[in-house]
Amino acid sequence: MTHTAELADKFLKAQLAGDRREAVRIAVEDGVNQGLSLSTVHLEIIKPAQYEIGRLWHENVISVAQEHLATAIAQLVLSHLYGYLKRAPSNGRRVLVGCVEGELHELGARMLADLLESDGYDAWYLGPNVPNAHLARMVGEARPDVIALSVTMPYYLPSIRAAIRAIRDAEKEAGYSNPIPIAIGGSASVYKTHTDANDGVFLLGSTAEELLRSFRTVARLSTSKEVGESLRTSATGIESQRGQAQ
Amino acid sequence: MEMSTPLAAVVAGISREFSLICAPDGAIRWLDERAQKLLSLREGALLSSIAIPGTEAKIDQLLRQAAQQSVDAWEVQVFAGGRGSTLLLRAVPHEGDIVLVGSFVPADYEALVGQLNEAMGELSRLTREKERQQKEITRRSEENRRLSSALNDSDRGMVALHAEIEEKSDSLARAAVLKTRMVANVSHEFRTPLNSIIGLSRLLLSRADGELAAEQEKQLGFILKSADTLSELVNDLLDLSKLEAGKVGLRVAKFRLREFFAALRGIMRPLLTSNSVELVFEEPSEDLELETDESKLSQILRNLVSNALKFTEAGEIRVRATSLPGGQVRINVSDTGIGIAAENLERVFEEFSQIDSPLQRKVKGTGLGLSLSRRLAEFLGGRLTVQSEVGKGSTFTIAIPAVHPEVAALGEMVERAKHVDPRRSPVLVVEDDRQTLFLYEKYLQGSGFQVLPARSIEDAQQVLQRIRPAAIVLDVMLEGESSWAFLQGLKDNPATSDIPVLVVTVVDREQKARALGADEFYVKPIEQEWLLNRLKSFTRLGPVKKVLVIDDDEVARYIIRKFLDGTDYQVFEAATGEAGIQSARTEHPDVIVLDFLLQETTAFEVLDDLKIDPATRNIPVIIHTSKTLLEEERAKLQLQTAAILSKQNLSREVAIARIREALEKAGLGVRPLSESQGV
Repeated sequence: MTHTAELADKFLKAQLAGDRREAVRIAVEDGVNQGLSLSTVHLEIIKPAQYEIGRLWHENVISVAQEHLATAIAQLVLSHLYGYLKRAPSNGRRVLVGCVEGELHELGARMLADLLESDGYDAWYLGPNVPNAHLARMVGEARPDVIALSVTMPYYLPSIRAAIRAIRDAEKEAGYSNPIPIAIGGSASVYKTHTDANDGVFLLGSTAEELLRSFRTVARLSTSKEVGESLRTSATGIESQRGQAQ
Repeated sequence: MEMSTPLAAVVAGISREFSLICAPDGAIRWLDERAQKLLSLREGALLSSIAIPGTEAKIDQLLRQAAQQSVDAWEVQVFAGGRGSTLLLRAVPHEGDIVLVGSFVPADYEALVGQLNEAMGELSRLTREKERQQKEITRRSEENRRLSSALNDSDRGMVALHAEIEEKSDSLARAAVLKTRMVANVSHEFRTPLNSIIGLSRLLLSRADGELAAEQEKQLGFILKSADTLSELVNDLLDLSKLEAGKVGLRVAKFRLREFFAALRGIMRPLLTSNSVELVFEEPSEDLELETDESKLSQILRNLVSNALKFTEAGEIRVRATSLPGGQVRINVSDTGIGIAAENLERVFEEFSQIDSPLQRKVKGTGLGLSLSRRLAEFLGGRLTVQSEVGKGSTFTIAIPAVHPEVAALGEMVERAKHVDPRRSPVLVVEDDRQTLFLYEKYLQGSGFQVLPARSIEDAQQVLQRIRPAAIVLDVMLEGESSWAFLQGLKDNPATSDIPVLVVTVVDREQKARALGADEFYVKPIEQEWLLNRLKSFTRLGPVKKVLVIDDDEVARYIIRKFLDGTDYQVFEAATGEAGIQSARTEHPDVIVLDFLLQETTAFEVLDDLKIDPATRNIPVIIHTSKTLLEEERAKLQLQTAAILSKQNLSREVAIARIREALEKAGLGVRPLSESQGV
C-alpha cells in the first residue's frame, strides 16, 4: 500500500468513527505538515475516502446517517486545509465554481475551487444545487473569466442546458463581448450530453485532476478568448486520451 | 390474545410499516395499503422507480441478495410523497418472489441528519469565504503598506522638491534683488568715471588750459568717442534692466507728431556727418496727436535713425508716419543701407547680437539698441518689426496705439466710475499712479467693490460731492501735506467721519532710493554753455554771483569750476552734504548745484536741512546727478528744486524742454528758454 493510500485508509476510519479531530489531525499533521501538497491530500486521501464511503453505503455497510456524518467531517477537514493553502501569485482570473441546480454532491466542486485558488485563481465557491437565477446574478456581480459546474448524478444532466442558457443571457446583460468559457466536471460529465459544440462549453473530464491540469494551462493565458481556446484544446486532448484509454 | 379486526385496523392506521411482494426483477406483485399510500406504488411498477436517482443500484442489489437469502435492515433512499426519504427494508425470498417489509427512518431523525449535513456544508462554505476574505484583506493591507511606503517616499520626495523649489525661488529672488541693486550701483559707478573722462576730454579740447597738437586733438577725439559709446552702452543696459524689472514709469502726455518730428530732426542733425546721406522727416499728412510717453518714443526713433545712419553709406533715411484704423500710428524708418539678410531679421533684435559683414566691422552698434527699442515699443503697447533686402535697405516699423492703452484703460475706469453699480459698494481710491489704480480695481472687483478713481485731492473732493463711498483708500504720498489735510477734513466732517479710510504710505525710502527709476532728463556731464545759460536764467531773480557745488566727486566739482572759469561766478565747493550746508549758511550762495547721491546722505536730506534754515530756505537748487530717479523722488524733488539735471545727456533740446517744465513746476516761472538765446 502506498503511503497516501494508508493515510486515506486511516482517514476513512476516522470519518466512520465520527472522530473529526483525528480526521483533521491526519490531514494536517500527517499530510500537509509532512510535506504533502494540498492537491495530494485532496485527491489522494479525502477523495478516495469519499468514494469509499459512497461504495460502503451502496453495499449497505453504512447508513445514510453515517454517510452524512462522514461527509460533514470531510467538509470540516477541507475547511481546515483551506487555511494551509499556499497561494501562487494571483493570475488575475476569476472562476465561479458550483454544482448544477439539484446536484448536492459538492465535495468535488469544493476541492476544485480550493485547488484553483492555490493556483492563483480568484475562485468563488457557490456550493451545491446552485439555482440558475443565482448563477445568472453572479455573472453580473462577479464578472468571472471562467465558470466551472459540477454534475455527479446523471439525473441532473439536463440542468446543464438550463444553466448555460442562464449564463449566456446574463452575459449579454453584463456586456461581455466574448462568451465566458464554461467547464463541466463531475462524474456525470463523461456523458457529454446536454451541450452543443457552439455553446462554448468545455468538458474537462470527470476528475478534478483533469480539470486542474487544463486550468493550469489556462493560467498562462491572458484573455477570455485565449482561455476558451486553450480549454477547448485541452478538452479535446483529454477526450482523445480517454478515448485511447478505453 | 388475538387482535380483533377493528383493533388491527387502528394499528394499521398508525403503523409506519408497509409490506409488498415483488418479482426478482423488482416488479411489484402485491402491496398493502400503506405501501400504496406512503410510497405511491401500484402493482406492476418497478420498485426501483421510486429510488432517488443514482441509488437504483442499491435496490437492485437488495433484490439480488434477497432472491437468495433474507436481508436485514437494507437502507434505501426513495422519493415518496413528494419528498426524499430513507427506508429500512427487510426481505426474504418466498416462492420465487421477494417479500419485503419496510419502515421509514423516523422523519425527524432523518431531517436532523440532513439538516446537520447541510449546516455543516454551509458552515464550511462560510468559513471558506471568511478565510478567503481575510486573505484578501491581508493582501490588500500589504499592498496598502507598500503603497503607503511608496507614497511616503514620494511625499518625502515632494517635500524635498518643494524645499528645493523654495530655495531656488528664494535664491532667484535674491539674485533678482542683487542684480537690480548691482545694476543701479554699477551704472552709478560706471558713470562717475565716464563722466569725468568725457568732461575732461572736452575741457582739453576746448584748449582752456593750453594748445593741442593735431595728433593730440585726434587722440582726444577718439577718447571722447569711446567714452560716448561706453556711456551709451551703460544707459541702454540700465534702461533694459529697468524695463525688465518693470521699474520704468510711464509718463503720458499729449503731443503733436509734427512737433515731435521737428524736435527729432533737430536732435539727429548733428549726427549727419556725411553728405552722401540725406535724413528726411516726412511731414505727416494729418495733424496726428498722440497721448503716450513721448520720451520713450523719441528714444526708439533716435535709436532707429542712428542705426540707419551707421549702416547707410549713401542714399537717404526717411522717417514717415501714418495713422491706421483702430487708433494705431505707424512710423517707418527706411534706409538705403546694406540691408539685413532674411535669416538674421529676428536676430538683430537680440541683445548683443552682431551680424558679420564688411560694413558691420567698420561700425559697431551697441548691440543693445534694437533690443531696447523693441522692449520700449512693447512698453508703449505696440510692436517693432523690420523688413529688409540685402543691398537695398531696411525699413523698421514701429506701430503703437495713438493713445497709450493705460490711458485708455484709466479713461474707461473713470467712465465706469461715473456710473455707480448698485450691486457693488463704491470705494474711493485716491492714488495718482495708474498701475496702482488698475491693481486696486482688479483686487476689489472680485469682492463686490467698485473703484472710483481720484488722481488728486481735488478729484477726490469732487467724487465725495457726488457719492458717499463705503470706504476710502488714500495714498499720503500723493501731494505731501494736502493728503494729511484731506484726511483731517474727512474726520472732522460728521458726514464723512465714519467712512473707513485706509492710508497708504511709502515704507522704506532707502530701498526705493536704491531701486531703478526712470528719469529722462539726462544731460551729459554738464556742458559749459548749458550751465552758463541755466545760470543766466536765474539772473531774473537777481544777480547770481555765488555758486555752491556740493558733490563728493572731485572731478565733477573740478569740471564745474573750470566751466565757470573766467566768468563772474564765484565757485564754492563742498564734498559732503554737511559741509555743503555749512557753506550755504556761511557763504549765502545764490544757487546751489547739488549732487543727488552723496556718499553719506541723499539729496532729500540736504534739501530738508536747507529748508529748515530760513537763511538757506530760498536758495534755488540744481540737482546734478548721474543716478536715475524714481517717480516719487523726481516728483518730490521737482517740488523742492529748481530743476533736475542729470549727468547724462539724451539731447539738449529734450533736456531744455524738460527743464522748462521743471522750472514752471518749481514755481520759478521763468520765461521760456528759446534757441535764440544761444543755448
